[in-house]
Amino acid sequence: MVNPNMSEADYRKSKIKSRIAWGVAIFFACIWLVLTLTPFFFMIINSFRKQFDMLQQGVFHLPDPWFFDNYVNVVSHGFFGYFLRSVIVVAISLVLMLAISAFAAYPLARMSFKLNPFIYALIVAMMSVPMHVTLIPIFKLTTSVGLYDSLGSLIGPYVAFALPMSVFILTAFMKTIPKEVEESAEIDGCNRYQNFFKMILPLSKSGLSTLAIYNGVSMWNEFAFANTLLITPEKKTLPLALGQFKGEHSLDIPIILAVLTLSVLPMITLFIVFQDKLVKGMMAGAVKG
Amino acid sequence: MNKKVLATFFATVLATTTLVGCGGSSATTTPSAGGSGADATAQANSSAGKQTDGKNLPTLTTEPLEITLWDIATEDPAKTTQEGAVQRFMKDYPNIKVNQVHQQNDNYKQQLVVAMSSGQAPDIYVHWGGGPMAEYYKSGFANDLTEMYAKYDHPEFIDAAVAQSTYDGKMLAIPFGGLSGCDIFYNKTIFKDLGLEVPKTIDELEAVCEKLKANNIIPFSLANASKWTGSMYYMYLVARHSGNAEFDAAYTQENGGTFTSDAFVYAGSKIQDWVKKGYFPDGVNSLSADDNQDRALLYDGSAAMMLHGAWQVSGIKADSEEWYNENVGVFRFPEDSEAKAKGVPQDVEIGTAIGMGMSFNCFKDDKTVDQEKLDACYVLATQYYNDDTYNNDQLSSGTQPSIKGMEENIDDPNMKVIADVFFNASNVQLWYDQYLPASVTEVHKNCMTELFGLEKTPEEIGKEHDDAMKKAIAEQ
Amino acid sequence: MKNENNIGLAQARAKSTAKAATVFLIPALLLITIYIIYPVIDTFVISGYKWNGISSDRIFIGTENWVSLFKDEMFWKSFKHNLIVMVFSILLQIPMGMLLATFLDAGGKKFNIFKIIWFLPYLMSSVAIAFLFVYALATNGGIVSSLATLIMGKKTTIDLLGTAPNALYTVIGVMAWQFTPFYMVYFIAGYGNIDTSIYEAAIIDGATRWQYIKHIAIPLLGPIFKTACTMSLIGSLKYFDMIWNMTQGGPAGSTELMATYMYKLSFQQFNMGYGSAVAAGMFLLITAIALIFNKVFKVKEEY
Repeated sequence: MVNPNMSEADYRKSKIKSRIAWGVAIFFACIWLVLTLTPFFFMIINSFRKQFDMLQQGVFHLPDPWFFDNYVNVVSHGFFGYFLRSVIVVAISLVLMLAISAFAAYPLARMSFKLNPFIYALIVAMMSVPMHVTLIPIFKLTTSVGLYDSLGSLIGPYVAFALPMSVFILTAFMKTIPKEVEESAEIDGCNRYQNFFKMILPLSKSGLSTLAIYNGVSMWNEFAFANTLLITPEKKTLPLALGQFKGEHSLDIPIILAVLTLSVLPMITLFIVFQDKLVKGMMAGAVKG
Repeated sequence: MNKKVLATFFATVLATTTLVGCGGSSATTTPSAGGSGADATAQANSSAGKQTDGKNLPTLTTEPLEITLWDIATEDPAKTTQEGAVQRFMKDYPNIKVNQVHQQNDNYKQQLVVAMSSGQAPDIYVHWGGGPMAEYYKSGFANDLTEMYAKYDHPEFIDAAVAQSTYDGKMLAIPFGGLSGCDIFYNKTIFKDLGLEVPKTIDELEAVCEKLKANNIIPFSLANASKWTGSMYYMYLVARHSGNAEFDAAYTQENGGTFTSDAFVYAGSKIQDWVKKGYFPDGVNSLSADDNQDRALLYDGSAAMMLHGAWQVSGIKADSEEWYNENVGVFRFPEDSEAKAKGVPQDVEIGTAIGMGMSFNCFKDDKTVDQEKLDACYVLATQYYNDDTYNNDQLSSGTQPSIKGMEENIDDPNMKVIADVFFNASNVQLWYDQYLPASVTEVHKNCMTELFGLEKTPEEIGKEHDDAMKKAIAEQ
Repeated sequence: MKNENNIGLAQARAKSTAKAATVFLIPALLLITIYIIYPVIDTFVISGYKWNGISSDRIFIGTENWVSLFKDEMFWKSFKHNLIVMVFSILLQIPMGMLLATFLDAGGKKFNIFKIIWFLPYLMSSVAIAFLFVYALATNGGIVSSLATLIMGKKTTIDLLGTAPNALYTVIGVMAWQFTPFYMVYFIAGYGNIDTSIYEAAIIDGATRWQYIKHIAIPLLGPIFKTACTMSLIGSLKYFDMIWNMTQGGPAGSTELMATYMYKLSFQQFNMGYGSAVAAGMFLLITAIALIFNKVFKVKEEY
């Protein structure tokens, strides 16, 4: 595969080649950077304008003049309440979801029992369910158990809807963990439960963090369930905050962009903080430690 | 290190869980402001008199009663106006508690379907009339108000508003949203600069368009990705050409009525002719009124006219009152002089005479009418919504109540034109996309895209309307 | 004697495995049953009725809705759109995500800024994305048409959202823009899951980073790659959000997907019975395609 006895000239050649390759790669990386950044940039820029200026000067124009009242307006319309409630719901749902899906993925990935293929197929099939068919049954269920119009009503659907995909992904991740890991643990006298908590769970961290990102974002932006299950303004979550600035015939786009900008900032911060978790090397640490 | 992170995380979760607990117990209902205060002053109130005193109305219960009301007033000024009406009612009737819920407009129809199918429908809900109102009534979610309306006091709604609250000869809703005519907004400055006159006939309108084209200005700002926007042109051309008789016939599909008749073909061909002549913006089907792209074309001066609903007045004003005062004028959709010569009435207007109506869902478990609750709903909708305070609030935010005599209180010259057009109309045709059965609406909207996109001929879209309409009638 | 003992042991082991599996699986199965499986059964039941969604009386009509579904041109047209979206989503999002992840993995920490900015599209809400792209693609003053005008030297209109075949491909492009970052993160996690000792060994053997990626890392990512494809496949077959905000299925149904079609029927057109048949049909089709996909891939994997 690789020749360890490369000649000096070959080595230099390959070095130059790799330089060029990196140059090209960075060039395309920068193009992609522009493509991803531009819409984001204009979301923020337009939140600092009056709607009239935005429509008259065009959306892709710098603010002239800058207008900061949108943010004042958003904050004075109870933004932090919406924000806090979203944090609560998403945090609880996410932790529950990660725990439950890890529990479920473990036997599916690493134990052989009769019903395994069937249960796996069933859970995977549930990924294909369009969420709108569940609105009415879940609404009925929520009202009948008295959870209607409370933050608690969202946790069940949020966790349940994230499960099929998460179990599916985690099972795949757990399957890549070498058999020896468990075997060595078993020799050390671990039972299955200890095995799970001591070995498998730490080794699935990169899978779990991907899932946290994937589901965290979709729960943070979730609209349909929240809109159906919450009705009092004091209980609504962040995606519903947009409604205050959107009427039957009126729509203040810059204010809406201000809300969206404010709601995306914490997500970005979290990503910056936790993206290190995705960097390679966790596995090594776990195996050696 | 990791353990620490985990520990903090769980601590946060725990803390937040307790917070949820607190939140759950504290906030109960929102708009019950003055709740306990109102109780204390209940007696004082009854002696001080209610605003309904001396009127011919049902006597309301003195027992505690709860009413749930769903509206779409999520934002001001509608929110304040409508919450005000509920507050005044609850002050006069402290034993009755109204839970006013503001739903978001975007998903409102879905919310109603979910609630109704789960047996959790609100006692009062708002809607736009037309096909859905009929559907709610037929499914047993709307009380027949005909008798009450005849027996008790109510505001003098204009005839068109009463007509649009009626289905199958039964009054099913109380209007409260104000009327919205559909007229042509134009840029006065551009018209003045080019020496253009407000057109009175369609021929004159076309002459104006030619002149604008020659000066590199798009005649009509239209954002037809929203489809109901293009539909306004179609509806008006049909109305001007046939006085709407052909639409009424096509709606029933009886006595030879069809969407391929003269007026429809005329309207379709006219639109396609205008598209070809460049009277509409390029890529008209890609522009979205939901994102205000039509207004943007007016603001930057690239287009000169826009056929749109009356709510544009308050919309443009909210964006920039200065620009509005300087530039915006309104005229009614011009007349079809040929049809007029043949005696076809030219005063059929397009729009909504009610804006929105309230229907009541006051039934007991055995499906008989819950008269006690219904009485309360009737009084709330006719005497507190639609009272002087309410109507003045509406007027000041640019909405014209659909009540006779109200047109005299308007200051804004454009609003005056819009109101005059409406109050002089012999008939107001509700937007097709609200009037037609829901399944036909979808076909109609797609046809509007294809018409403006020159993908189908007027005859072809007429036929599609016919097929959908026949199917809808058969399924009734 | 010894044999019996072995069998007994194996049985006991199987039993304890079954017990452990049950304990681990119960919470997930419980939630899925309540919140997903029950509604799915309900959907199949409702698909046998003529029902407007709100009325208390529904009429049982047997398979009539299903017969209409088979003959419904609009449904099959939506399905075709979904298939197109699916194929292009897999072809665009997965390789692109893989490419970005590989670049970041090779570059290590110094490329963090790329990673963070590249991830932004996934964080933006569909509402903002739809709004900004509608304006960017606008025929009047939009970025694309303005660029075209600049390049051609005369007024050029490129109508990407308002005409039939363009609109679907445009939406696919926007979807790719939105979801590629997720697959990027997903593959970064996949790279992270590979034992560093493998990398170290390869480097000691004199492999370059690129050789390591090509010959060792990518083959090891096989299963991860397969799950990513399945996710993209299912996700694009039941896609709803951004399309709804951007085109609502228009112009003239050219971006209508199964999910938007179902939504319109069930919640806007008072046709819940038929809408449920569409939803159920959609569920069956997606499951079938996902199963076939996984079967086909399994063969390759074993090889």
